[in-house]
Amino acid sequence: MSHEKEKPQILPETLNLIRSSSQFSRREFLLISGVMVVAVSGLEAWGAKETPLIIMDQAKGLVIADPTKCVGCRRCELACTEFNDGKASPTVARIKISRNLNFGPKGLHAGQRGQGSWGNGLVIQNLCNQCPHPVPCANACPNDAIVVSPPTNARVVDPDKCTGCKMCQRACPWEMMSFDSDANKATKCFLCDGNPKCVEACPAGALSYTAWRDLTDKTPPRVIPTAVVSPEKAQTCIDCHKK
Amino acid sequence: MEQREQISLAMAQIIRARSETGQLVQFEEIWTELTGQGVVKSEVADQKSFLESILREAVAGNEDLEEISGKNGIPHYYSALSLSETYAGILIRKEESSLIAEIVRENSAIYPRPVPLDFFKESPFDLTQQEILDCLGKMGEQGEYQDIAQTTTSIGTVFLYSNRHLDPGYASILAEWFDVGQINSP
Amino acid sequence: MAKPGGWAGKVLRVDLSTGRISTEDTIEKYKDFLGGTGIGYRVIWDEVPTGTKPFDPANKVVFGVGPLAGTGAPCNGRTAVTTLWPTCWPKPLVASGHMGGHFAAELKYAGYDAIIVEGRADRPVWLQIEDGKAEIKDARHLWGQGIRRTTVEINQQMGPEASVAAIGQAGENLVPMSVVINSYSHSAGGIGGVMGSKNLKAIGVRGTGSVRIAGNKEEWERVVKLHLSLLGANNQHVVPNSPQPWAEYYSAGSRWVASTGRQWGAAEPNIETGACNPRDLNKIAYRTNNAAFFLGDSAWKYTVRGNGCTSCPIRCHTVLKVPKVSSKYGIPAMGQNTCAGLMLGRGFFKTFPDGPKGETAIEACMVGIHLADDVGVWENYGQMQRDFQELYYNGTIKNKIGENEFRSYSWDKYEKGDPTFLFELLPRIAAKEGELATALGMGTGYLLERWSIPEQEWQKDQKVAYWKMGHPKHHANEDAGQCGVIINTQYNRDAQCHSHANFTRNGLPIQVQKRLAADIWGSSDAVDAIAAYTPMNIYKAKMAKWSLLRKELHDSLSLCNWMGPWIASPLKERNYRGDDSIESLLYSLATGDKKSREELDTVAERIFLLHRALTIRDMGTKEMRADHDTMPDWVFTDPAGKDAFTQGTNRMDKEDIKLAMDMYYEEMGWDKQTGAPTPSTYKKLGLGDVADELDKRGLLP
Repeated sequence: MSHEKEKPQILPETLNLIRSSSQFSRREFLLISGVMVVAVSGLEAWGAKETPLIIMDQAKGLVIADPTKCVGCRRCELACTEFNDGKASPTVARIKISRNLNFGPKGLHAGQRGQGSWGNGLVIQNLCNQCPHPVPCANACPNDAIVVSPPTNARVVDPDKCTGCKMCQRACPWEMMSFDSDANKATKCFLCDGNPKCVEACPAGALSYTAWRDLTDKTPPRVIPTAVVSPEKAQTCIDCHKK
Repeated sequence: MEQREQISLAMAQIIRARSETGQLVQFEEIWTELTGQGVVKSEVADQKSFLESILREAVAGNEDLEEISGKNGIPHYYSALSLSETYAGILIRKEESSLIAEIVRENSAIYPRPVPLDFFKESPFDLTQQEILDCLGKMGEQGEYQDIAQTTTSIGTVFLYSNRHLDPGYASILAEWFDVGQINSP
Repeated sequence: MAKPGGWAGKVLRVDLSTGRISTEDTIEKYKDFLGGTGIGYRVIWDEVPTGTKPFDPANKVVFGVGPLAGTGAPCNGRTAVTTLWPTCWPKPLVASGHMGGHFAAELKYAGYDAIIVEGRADRPVWLQIEDGKAEIKDARHLWGQGIRRTTVEINQQMGPEASVAAIGQAGENLVPMSVVINSYSHSAGGIGGVMGSKNLKAIGVRGTGSVRIAGNKEEWERVVKLHLSLLGANNQHVVPNSPQPWAEYYSAGSRWVASTGRQWGAAEPNIETGACNPRDLNKIAYRTNNAAFFLGDSAWKYTVRGNGCTSCPIRCHTVLKVPKVSSKYGIPAMGQNTCAGLMLGRGFFKTFPDGPKGETAIEACMVGIHLADDVGVWENYGQMQRDFQELYYNGTIKNKIGENEFRSYSWDKYEKGDPTFLFELLPRIAAKEGELATALGMGTGYLLERWSIPEQEWQKDQKVAYWKMGHPKHHANEDAGQCGVIINTQYNRDAQCHSHANFTRNGLPIQVQKRLAADIWGSSDAVDAIAAYTPMNIYKAKMAKWSLLRKELHDSLSLCNWMGPWIASPLKERNYRGDDSIESLLYSLATGDKKSREELDTVAERIFLLHRALTIRDMGTKEMRADHDTMPDWVFTDPAGKDAFTQGTNRMDKEDIKLAMDMYYEEMGWDKQTGAPTPSTYKKLGLGDVADELDKRGLLP
């Protein structure tokens, strides 16, 4: 297991384009580069002006869940943290079911007509959508600490860069960012490099690892995000999104 | 690949695929499927003995492939990767009138315990109530099945046992234990 | 200091009399007792004087979990609750209840290994525990409410993830036959009244912390996966209950009930359980359906899914949805429980219009769990129901409760098997309303005494399944011959030991069981086929010792004794062998305290020995053999008059059992004549201080 940041692959054409600060459409860019990463801090080596990281490339894999099969054992949360971090911690777990276990995602506002063990029995598993652009957690990070990790292209927290500011926590509408207080770092689902431990651990086969697709408009949000995107990052949006 | 080898491989695959669905397969069925798949060229398609010899080789050469025959002597094949010997043994005897008797005797001997009558309604036996009763009726008439006896629990469930291995008192107490006692001592 | 592995590190001590809350260092003070019942017995020994009664403020109740609770070790969701036992007759002695659910894990994440509750609050309170902080809070608004409302209101305060253990009206009213429940359906019997006597309505726990695995995380993963690969179904039954394509063996009595055609019928859409090949670890949760096993095949259509404790893949609780009970009885269509809890409602009735496994019986079960799990009534492993049936049908109830009260019950409904009768009975037991309710709520021993029924009457009737001291048999000779008898003599309530019965009921043929037995206990003679027992031998005594020690080990580590030990497995390639060192492997890796199987069993023996010492101390006698380790007369009878050691009977022989106890005491290093542990045994196990105390009281052999 590793969520170390890998040095991104950058085609020379892309480098040139960025250096020349030429304006181009996202589509053009993708056509030209055929490559995933837009800009990285590694460019410092080339003396280029540092451009904030905006993740463009899509994830290749996704964990999806069947709530009708969840039996509420929490082995997914335990596998995620024990096998990756050496400690059992549902709070840090990057798949989240404990918060929905008793009363469902609406918690106690649904009374006893809700979901979970106290309602209709249904346990809704919460999983990271591995969002397409714009990636809320990554964009909110003032340190560009959330990066893309090949080959799954999962969005991954680089612990070397994370300063523990928790801005990403406030950015995710699905509250899927975890914070490891022992390490003082954010952490999130990194798909276990293509062999997700939660999927392996589920005794009811409720989880599967599948090709990525966009579930962001299908997953009901849990909170209204309150993150603040840094002006530098917001500025780069204009690079593509101009009227 | 040499044709012999090709046919052998195909045969093994057919047997394994069938076993995965919980079924045994006979030579005739393998033959038909091979022809349908186009694995066998038409000139060898009629050569039953040729194909049978390849099948024997395939079974001998693959550790997981097994042969099993019922009373009628017709060999059936299965893969131990998917089916246990016990399960294959049940399947091979499904058509035989002695199936119930043999299952009852096995259970009475090795565990030991009697078998609920309703057991034979379930997969893989899939017999109807009438079929079971008919079978019991036939067994009652035939000398070789005189060891098959019945016992009824306090809640009316009928169990079968073989008195070669269990005496009536023993069978009765075991039946009661499985049907009632274990439930009342959760 | 580095965070320990396994243990959270702190034991919480709450004095409800003074309001003082303090902590102790788990490892410093209790490491040699692990956790769970180990800590429980130690606290009771050290701090609760002889002669204390269960509802006295001086009694303490210890909610203990072990170093494995909250980890990913399979089957660790258990909390042991140790206290002086209200239904232990004639004199209260130490005993434990056990509850599953998520309480144990949450307590660990909150930073605690145990909670010691002392004293008595002067008004109703509940205990709030959150991440290293505990607070005693006002529960006057909760007092008088059922377990469910109490839980929901505390969750409203603490958030939906908090785990709440609460008592109902039964506990509040100091009904000895009462429970504490967490996670909707997970009860610890016998505890409700003790909490009620302390004015403690509930404990709410919320923890966002973690449990550290001291060992290498790859190795931990390997051991956890090894453990998973050896699992069977509920009670570690290792063969399916009908022929499956992959299976060499099958057994109608197995709780491994999955099969093609059997579906979770109330799941939307329904889910086929299928063949459940044991090598497919993503299908473990489908093997067991205790509603179907206990209530009959018609329960499949009502099954929504399995449920149960943290980390356990077995899911021995069944979530049921029975729509008709809403309109018929005005209760929710949803209900869940397992085993005895599931059958609570049905057990009261002698007969139902459509039989013991029909629809009415299922409805009675739904009504039973709805009522009992809210008002918090305990059934004592079905003993309350057996007593009730016996006392009704033999005319005693009619005699004892007076005409007015007798007429206040709808006995016609009862006799017909109408589940609405339970609405008349269960709430009244919780409220101690009337003579019948009061007597039933006291527990069998006190009930018999109150109604001037000699205990002998109950001890000669096999049907009533009574053993001694107010409690029933629990996996005795009918499960494991002499081994089962020995085990049932050892506790102060029904022996909550499943080590032996899990094995003998696992469904493997007797020859295979004998082969496995030889590996573990030294000879294939350790086990017999049931109802075909043979005379006592030393190996059966070893099996009894192993069973008891492992029960205490599990209750102290937080491993489920209803699922372990794991000496058999469903794997033909292992010759159905499990692994007898699973507990020590998990313990060593999680805590970093490396112990072999034998070393860990020694710790278990220490814990069990402390229970023995407590029993001796508080009984005030060392004559355990004569006064405590007894068995009822029915054990030595057979309804058809068959002799012991013939095929077809579970009957034991008196002389043979005397020999059994001799051999058992010898295995344990206890004095044969009295059954009391010897000074050298206490010292060998590090309980020299205990021996000294007993010596002062003249209680050493």
